[in-house]
Amino acid sequence: MAALPAKLLRVALIVSVLGGLYWLALDKHAERDALRQASVELTAACSAKLQGYALTPGELYRSPYLLKTTGRSSRLRGYSEEDVRAIQRGCNIVDDTQGQLARGGARERWNATRYSRSSHASCDQCHQGVGDKQDAAGNRLVGSNGLAASWVMADMYDRFTGLLLPYELRQMQCYINSSNGFKPNAAEDLIRDVTAYSRFLAAALDLKVGNHYPEQGMDEIPASATLRRGDDYVRGAHVYRQRCATCHGLQALGTVVQGRVLYPALAGPESFSLDSRMNFARMNTVMPGFICRNMPLGEEGSLDNQQCRDIAYYLSTLPRPAGDKQGPLAAAWQQLMMTVMPPLTQYADSLGSNDTPLAPD
Amino acid sequence: MPALRGNLLVGLTLAVVTLPQAIAFSTTLAGLPPHFGIYAAIWGVLFTALLNPSRVFSGGPNTTMSAAIGITLLPVAPPFGADYIGYALTLILLAGLIQMMFVLIRPLGRMLDLINEPIINGLICGIGLFLIFKSLTGFAGLPINTEVEWPLWIAWQSFLAVLEIGNLYAIQIGLITLITSLVVRQIRPLRNWAILIGVAAGTAYSEYLNSTIGLRNTMIEQIANLSSVGFVFPSLPLFSQEAMSDIISILPGAVTLALLGLFQTVAAMRRMNRKLGDYTDSRKGIFADAVSNCLLPFLSSLPTCASFNRMWLVYRLGGDSRVASAISALILLLMVLFLADLIAIIPMPAMAAIIMLLGANMINWEDIKPHFKDRRETVVFLASFLSVLFLDLFGAVIVGSVLAIAYSKWEQAHPDISRNGNVLKIRGNIYYGSLPVIESTYHDVIDREGSAVIDFSECYYIDQEGIRWLAAAKAAEKASFADRRRNENRRELERREAADRKRVSGRRRGRRDRRRRSEF
Repeated sequence: MAALPAKLLRVALIVSVLGGLYWLALDKHAERDALRQASVELTAACSAKLQGYALTPGELYRSPYLLKTTGRSSRLRGYSEEDVRAIQRGCNIVDDTQGQLARGGARERWNATRYSRSSHASCDQCHQGVGDKQDAAGNRLVGSNGLAASWVMADMYDRFTGLLLPYELRQMQCYINSSNGFKPNAAEDLIRDVTAYSRFLAAALDLKVGNHYPEQGMDEIPASATLRRGDDYVRGAHVYRQRCATCHGLQALGTVVQGRVLYPALAGPESFSLDSRMNFARMNTVMPGFICRNMPLGEEGSLDNQQCRDIAYYLSTLPRPAGDKQGPLAAAWQQLMMTVMPPLTQYADSLGSNDTPLAPD
Repeated sequence: MPALRGNLLVGLTLAVVTLPQAIAFSTTLAGLPPHFGIYAAIWGVLFTALLNPSRVFSGGPNTTMSAAIGITLLPVAPPFGADYIGYALTLILLAGLIQMMFVLIRPLGRMLDLINEPIINGLICGIGLFLIFKSLTGFAGLPINTEVEWPLWIAWQSFLAVLEIGNLYAIQIGLITLITSLVVRQIRPLRNWAILIGVAAGTAYSEYLNSTIGLRNTMIEQIANLSSVGFVFPSLPLFSQEAMSDIISILPGAVTLALLGLFQTVAAMRRMNRKLGDYTDSRKGIFADAVSNCLLPFLSSLPTCASFNRMWLVYRLGGDSRVASAISALILLLMVLFLADLIAIIPMPAMAAIIMLLGANMINWEDIKPHFKDRRETVVFLASFLSVLFLDLFGAVIVGSVLAIAYSKWEQAHPDISRNGNVLKIRGNIYYGSLPVIESTYHDVIDREGSAVIDFSECYYIDQEGIRWLAAAKAAEKASFADRRRNENRRELERREAADRKRVSGRRRGRRDRRRRSEF
């Protein structure tokens, strides 16, 4: 019976490891619950946005936006304190995914950095205006990627694969492609809070489920929307230097000041991946649409369609991370290019005497 | 009829072991309704028992094959849906047809014998580890992500998700199942019943939670109602015009499925043959698998292949597997007909816990240990193990096949060449793979000694390319050949060589050449 104690010991070991993990799970759950209960410190943009939409806990919710734009007053079911906190957290995540504005860092954003290999990526960069971009008069802008309009699309079918894409899955795709990262679980608070926020926006803007609104997604620009001179990356590089490089940098590596991302990278290791539909080489209508409608900040609409396509083409020639589906070879190649190309282009630029000056001519 | 009574007991044990596994495989791994697993445990077991003459062969649902179905189809359609089921049936049928090719093309089936133990064990260990990661989300009652989760990094993410946002009730049920089966397994008489008792404990706890807290609050997923399922559940694979592009995209998955099944069948039959000390042609196993897998998709069932665990069980209990399997199929059929209500309340976390347990069982140190004694086996084992973790299943199977060929050729490509003066004694094969090795030594000898004698005494195979090379070497007049098996004495040969050299200047050069070539 010498085998018996050894056997007992082994079982005891396994059981204690499992018990330890269970205890760890209890601990982590308690931590999460504490974070869920804690009051939320809003970022400046979120504070303005949510105050403007009069988000407070209560029995009823009346949208000030609706009253202002149509004169109608809405009576929707109100939000509990828990709901309000979720919406506030969601807004914070959209505005500052990396947690650079939070006192508690990424932890206050449900560790969104864990799902993002890019240290620049934030939802707000594509879904501008904290996911709800409006002009001064309060008109929602066409092709501005509005979160509310995206939420009311509810279950979309993917254009290419035909797969059903619920809102949560679309968010996962954002993490995978746009932030060159990993998908969070669909039940993750990160996803839930952003959904809560988008849902609240839809209520505040009085968007109806199942409808399509022009601010949803990109206002895509196909080649047929130009004079069909063909896309040219030399032209694109020229326009990029004139109109974009002041913020995004000559190498399109973004601008970071004191650890805060002011303008995100459009190429290089911190940008979206080759698998992203923002990549012109993959989907040549999306990025031009985004540029034309949303860029340059404050001067939207100042670029014509051909210029937008050229810029997007130019950007697609710059090195960026490979998508995870493309395999290790592509990843290694892109990594090499991202390391080697910026200093090389910098050197080449320093040689050129007929270089385009940065100032607009 | 003591033999029949013995087989009855073996059959019952087999049924009890198979039932929870079958349900777990179909629901948590393959993403198919539970009756798929159960019908595989009925029809798959029955067909293979009828078709395979081996005394201990036992087929039925299999972990890796079920996982392969889930991995292949998750990107194609949402699991448990009608489309998904259709694609799954198509996939199984395609795999069956591919396996049929291995029966019809004899050399192809023979190629499977090249898959050696380290490769199979590497695949099995890797898949076992993968199954543990894979069932983490199910264990914690979290939604299963619809994209494939191969990379280890994602596994780590889902581990964190379990700790942070897992459903605690689900985790409790899973832990109770896991620990109960672990403990029960240590008690010898209950060993085979461990998993069933574990599932029963998990289900009992889940029912307790349902009565005190309510299913609405615990949000535990349960196996769906099986009451619509009867004696047979006929089904048709999906082959519509619209589905064609997707069917083409799952072809690599079908190849993976077919090969995984055959690898395991061949390996298990080989291992059981050696344990039993007798011989059943593995071709018969391949035939049984192929025919069953062509029939099973029409009976809504998972694919079948050999299960080493269950074969070992039958062997240990001393049953005649063909009778015992048939009996177990019959018992399972009765279970489906009469215990459907009980099966329906089994909670999913318990099923995930079972998968974890089986995954852990697949990593058996006793099986792996011998592979670390030989460097070549270690390399092959590690390569095949890591390929599962870092590539997808298709990649792993391809890597396994390539390794198998490389492993079997490597030995032959390095003949043992001993040098004694200008005499080269070759032990091994002379063929295109080993020629470079032989050539390098040969030219070395020629450079030093000016001539070489190639001794074939212990050489057992020369291929066409080898013959051409030897002829060319002979024509260059620097080499002579010896073979002791033809009673040719090397010294005698050297003497004749010297005599020949004397004659070289003479006029009968052409004739001498002809005579020499006839030597072999």
